Amino acid sequence: MSNIGGIIRALNSGVKHLAIKRFTLRYPEQKLKFVGDGFQFNPEIGVGIAGLRGRHILYHEHCTGCQLCSVACEGIAEAISMVKVNETWKHNKKAIMPQIDYGKCVFCGLCVDACPFYALYMTNDYELSSFTKSALIYTPAQLAIKPKISQDVEIKIDDRGASHG
Amino acid sequence: MTTQLPPGMHIETVDEKIMTLNVGPQHPGSGHMRLIIKVDGDYIVSCDPDPGYVHRGEEKMAEYRNYIQNIPHLERPVIHDSSNILYPYCLSVEELLGIEVPERAKYIRVIAAELNRCIYILYWLAIYGIFMGHSTMFMWPAGDRELFIDLLEAMSGARVTHAYLVPGGVRNDLPSNFEERCLRQVEYFEKRLKEYEAVFYQNPLLKARTEGSGILSRTDAIRLGTTGSVLRASGVDFDVRKKEPYDVYENLDFQSIVMKEGDSYARSRVPYLEMFESCRIIKDALRKMPKSGSVRTKLKPNPKGGNDEVYRRIESGRGAIGYYIVSNNRPEPYRVKISVGSFRNLICMPYLLKGEKLGNMPAVYWGLNYWPVEADR
Repeated sequence: MSNIGGIIRALNSGVKHLAIKRFTLRYPEQKLKFVGDGFQFNPEIGVGIAGLRGRHILYHEHCTGCQLCSVACEGIAEAISMVKVNETWKHNKKAIMPQIDYGKCVFCGLCVDACPFYALYMTNDYELSSFTKSALIYTPAQLAIKPKISQDVEIKIDDRGASHG
Repeated sequence: MTTQLPPGMHIETVDEKIMTLNVGPQHPGSGHMRLIIKVDGDYIVSCDPDPGYVHRGEEKMAEYRNYIQNIPHLERPVIHDSSNILYPYCLSVEELLGIEVPERAKYIRVIAAELNRCIYILYWLAIYGIFMGHSTMFMWPAGDRELFIDLLEAMSGARVTHAYLVPGGVRNDLPSNFEERCLRQVEYFEKRLKEYEAVFYQNPLLKARTEGSGILSRTDAIRLGTTGSVLRASGVDFDVRKKEPYDVYENLDFQSIVMKEGDSYARSRVPYLEMFESCRIIKDALRKMPKSGSVRTKLKPNPKGGNDEVYRRIESGRGAIGYYIVSNNRPEPYRVKISVGSFRNLICMPYLLKGEKLGNMPAVYWGLNYWPVEADR
């Protein structure tokens, strides 16, 4: 008899959930909201600023072509290569800037930790899929564009359980 | 003509009653490994685990990268428990390089490690549920795992491979209003966890299948060198967090979970009860954490370790993980040896499966808290 009681109790605890909201994110329509504008780093104190580690953003006016990001990526993903750019900056005599291959990048963010000139940060943009491998290679010009994102859904918790709003 | 066989090899004799089954190597749970099982009817005569399909050479790779560049690839063996596998690495490198860790960073590390432990156990529980044919127990933990992934995403910026712990502290400070958000989601999760009891653990169908199967006695558990939840389910009170407290675990209020039975049911229940303790640790750490201060000690670029060797271990979701690091005055370690709980628990699988029914194999196999990718490293 105790077995039947146990089975009824198990079924009952499942049946209760028919009246509770679904805990599912309907992804392409709903997108999760993240803290801040992406992972950043303060080289003065050597501590990062919390944020999602998505696609990078490169500030051309700060980049000196020092290659530290590329050196940091050696042995991790080898995704960063330095390429020539058709720009003239006083602080970037060699006119080289990082180009990132997102087919290789593991989004660890150690290149951001390595940059001492506030030039390379990460953004909230994580939708990078493409039909060709070559489209995954982002040139310095593409990395300079600020992504347009609309992420506004958060986990809400009330008496009827957790849900995505 | 008789041919000489190489040492260690033998020709198997064929018995008409005994059949050999290959379970795997494609995902008999998660990760690739093979069990060569010999059955007599429905009963297992012998079992020979055959790991090594996902060997990646992590230890060799670590010898060619400096102490910071090692972080992203050393967490790859267990991406669900990435903070815990990096924890002993950070502790041993700190000892090697003589780095002090700020007080606030120690608390943040403990919170990250406990959140990650919950993520791992929920994933493990989801697979345990589907192994038992209980699809509700697959859906619930896989869904509730999102609460913790969301918190770690806010902390570290990545959903699974966090690369958050570094020698000298953590990568970044907590975001604003993290404390309230963490407290709210952890308290909701504790309520949710109590519902698992009726639907899974007190379910007579689960009890009938797992109680009394694959019994590992207390002496055998010690003799075979098992660790983690397998050891505690056999009645040995050994938890590295209690016995050799690292960082701030000695200031925090929690118990180690011990059960005496040593059967499959106890092995499935110990990690579940540990999640309650993890929630307690997180709430306690949030209360006792210093509200401001540094979280990372600045390192020199390319730091070098002296002529030294260290061994530090911690308690992960699967047992004790230890790192043995040797350095020889270079920016790269000379040798990194990772000792993982999964591999040490694998050794008792042939003992437990002997004489069991084939139908009980999944319960015994997954109850050992074995993660093939971690064991192969």
